[in-house]
Amino acid sequence: MELLGNLALGFAAATTLEMLTVCFVGVLLGTFVGVLPGIGPLAAVAMLLPVSFHLPAEAALILLAGVYYGAEYGGSTASILLNIPGTPSASVTALDGFPMAQKGRAGVALVLTAIASFVGGIVGVIVMALLSPALAGFALQFGPAEYFAVMVLGLVAATVVGGRGIVRGLAMVCLGLLLGTIGVDVNSGATRFTGGIPDLRDGIGLVVVAMGLFGVSEVIASIRGNTRHKVSQPLNWRSLMPNREDWMRVPGPALRGSAVGSFFGTLPGAGQTVASFVGYAVEKRISRNKDQFGHGAVEGVVVPESANNAAAQTAFIPTLTLGIPGSTTMALMLGALMIHGITPGPRLITDHPSLFWGLVASFVIGNLMLLVLNIPLVGLWARILRVPNAMLYPIVAVLICLGVYSLRLNLFDVWLTLGFGLLGYAMRLWRFEPAPLLIGFVLGPMIEEYFRRAMLLSRGDPMVFFERSGSATLLGIAVALLIVAGLQPRKLIQRVFRSP
Amino acid sequence: MTLRRTFLICSAAALAASALPAVAQDWPERPVRILVSFPPGGSSDLVARLLAEHLGERLGQPFIVENRPGAGGTVAALALKEAAADGHTFMLSNLTPFGIAPTLFPDAGYDPIVDFTHVSYIGGVHLGLFAGAGLEIDTLDALITRAQSEPGMLDYGTSGVGSWGHIVSARFGALTETEMEHIPYQGSGPIRLDLQAGVIGLAFDAVPQNLPLVAEGVAIPLAVSAPERLDTLPDVPTFREAGLDLVAENWLGFSAPVGLDPAIAAKLDETLTDIMTLPEITAQFDTWGIVRVPMDGAAFAAFVADQYSAWAPMVEAAR
Repeated sequence: MELLGNLALGFAAATTLEMLTVCFVGVLLGTFVGVLPGIGPLAAVAMLLPVSFHLPAEAALILLAGVYYGAEYGGSTASILLNIPGTPSASVTALDGFPMAQKGRAGVALVLTAIASFVGGIVGVIVMALLSPALAGFALQFGPAEYFAVMVLGLVAATVVGGRGIVRGLAMVCLGLLLGTIGVDVNSGATRFTGGIPDLRDGIGLVVVAMGLFGVSEVIASIRGNTRHKVSQPLNWRSLMPNREDWMRVPGPALRGSAVGSFFGTLPGAGQTVASFVGYAVEKRISRNKDQFGHGAVEGVVVPESANNAAAQTAFIPTLTLGIPGSTTMALMLGALMIHGITPGPRLITDHPSLFWGLVASFVIGNLMLLVLNIPLVGLWARILRVPNAMLYPIVAVLICLGVYSLRLNLFDVWLTLGFGLLGYAMRLWRFEPAPLLIGFVLGPMIEEYFRRAMLLSRGDPMVFFERSGSATLLGIAVALLIVAGLQPRKLIQRVFRSP
Repeated sequence: MTLRRTFLICSAAALAASALPAVAQDWPERPVRILVSFPPGGSSDLVARLLAEHLGERLGQPFIVENRPGAGGTVAALALKEAAADGHTFMLSNLTPFGIAPTLFPDAGYDPIVDFTHVSYIGGVHLGLFAGAGLEIDTLDALITRAQSEPGMLDYGTSGVGSWGHIVSARFGALTETEMEHIPYQGSGPIRLDLQAGVIGLAFDAVPQNLPLVAEGVAIPLAVSAPERLDTLPDVPTFREAGLDLVAENWLGFSAPVGLDPAIAAKLDETLTDIMTLPEITAQFDTWGIVRVPMDGAAFAAFVADQYSAWAPMVEAAR
């Protein structure tokens, strides 16, 4: 019953007027920042950091955390309405969310997104409340070999998500991996594949690739007038709301997505990216509505959103209990804590109970606020689709350029984004999916780093990946997923050699 | 901040300004940029953001932190070199772009001494050699003996190839005639995770962020790279005490492009020195483990040049 006492303490800390206000400001700001293409939570958290100096530590963390998971909510809006995801996980939502919008069901997709996010967020919070003390040590069980195995699993899941066959998915993942090798080699410090361009020394930015492949290519397609036929969204309440059949398809996928997301979120770094892809791939295999995936399946929106938001919550476990941030945004939040003289670590929960449990309670409150906030906003967002293309897409293009430029204040990135837009358009003409490329690109550098670190530590013995039970199990799951995905080797070989 | 305090600070600033020559009197005329060579969130970035708040209050114009990470800080240093020397662009200068990168990358495109005005010293952190609890080594001598008896068997982490930890580790290897396996990481966070988990046995890493691990008993400090023992680790010997000529400080300061009006430089240095005596700032710097010795602008410029020439041979040796 210690948990109940702790939760009571947390809610007492988080329901003061001040805390409720900062929580609301945080999630509201996060929602809007998440909706704007190219401007992620990082920019908003960085801007708010000086404000948080003047707040007490609890309020500062609640505010910044609100922006962070509010942006996870908002991030799906642009990907559903316009097919412009800002993050790899949002690109999974776009796989089915955008087709839904094209069928005039944008409102339904957005409502389901809000609900799936809510379920994911709440499940994540429950996992965090119940298991944080126990899970604190979990990330320590993960050595380089296990991280490598998790990422292999993520890549396999990514090849499976694409609707157009495993070979095309594999090709895109490999292209992503290759793009990820551009920049400084971690182990030698040598620069690779930069063509002598200094701006490429640190590699290509994720937002550059995502905004180019999805956003700019969408804009180019709109010029040619070959965006798939857009059904205008009726704006009455009835057509914005999911129908009975839609509702029936929510609970199972939402809970499975939340479970997958909660697990992967606890792994610093790789977890959040992998969660949506793995959740989607699993659901696609076990769902009765397999054929609808990629054409606007309700499950295809619900699973990645619940997984993504559950992971966003459980990502706080390693951040707070080990002091290991999984992303730059998390690092900023740790910074805010450090300003207030609080050092994240195993003793944070016992030393600062009102901070930790107040944060947990604020997640529950914040997720409720987001739900209440987002359902009425659905009508507003759906209205965006009524803006004529000739006005909408130029605005989108400008927003993308601004967002990309704001990240590093580097004009080169803007040109590179436009270049990736052309690549994305070419891929669209030849019907290659950009989502697997994106995850290959994100995981490529990490997979290489962990693989080479594991090999350095084992002095070059590859058996290390099979001797450790954790990595052996994960690699086993990856192989199983490939087999279940219908990869029949003989058929595959025949297909490869026959294809022109 | 109460109105009265704002008023007092403003009038104090006005009084101070009246004694200075004309150009500096008008400074700052518009918002001032502080370039930071790290992404947002690191402790150096936080130093800049904290000082920017106070500078803005005292000098009447906002000081804005602009993160220009990349290429070992050379991106920010190049941007600073190309900015106008009118007192509206500064950089949070530090060891990597001004002491290491110019030697490591001869084509960096700037000279750390002649292209800049080094204005004001903030402070610095030192490096420690930490052993994971699982290694069961608790003195520097024990480590050296073990490393000599089993060459190439021990693993140590640093925050990357060409990082100060890597350069110091190479120097350590040369001085003690030991050979250990270098495991490069990207930044300090993952090193601490793997040191705790026992993936690596040793780490060459900045002292402050490892203090919680030391308090937990999961990391054992063997030696620090400071000239004297540190207040935060009073029982840990320096490398010098062990007979190894190894001193390394990751310093922080404010720098401007070459040709900055000396009056502006003096005014910024004075204001910063004042801010650095505020109890809230000293308390904050203490928790971050930033050590500060008094140093005026001219001494700081000489210090940067000294550090550059002291690091150059170590960097060359580590390449």
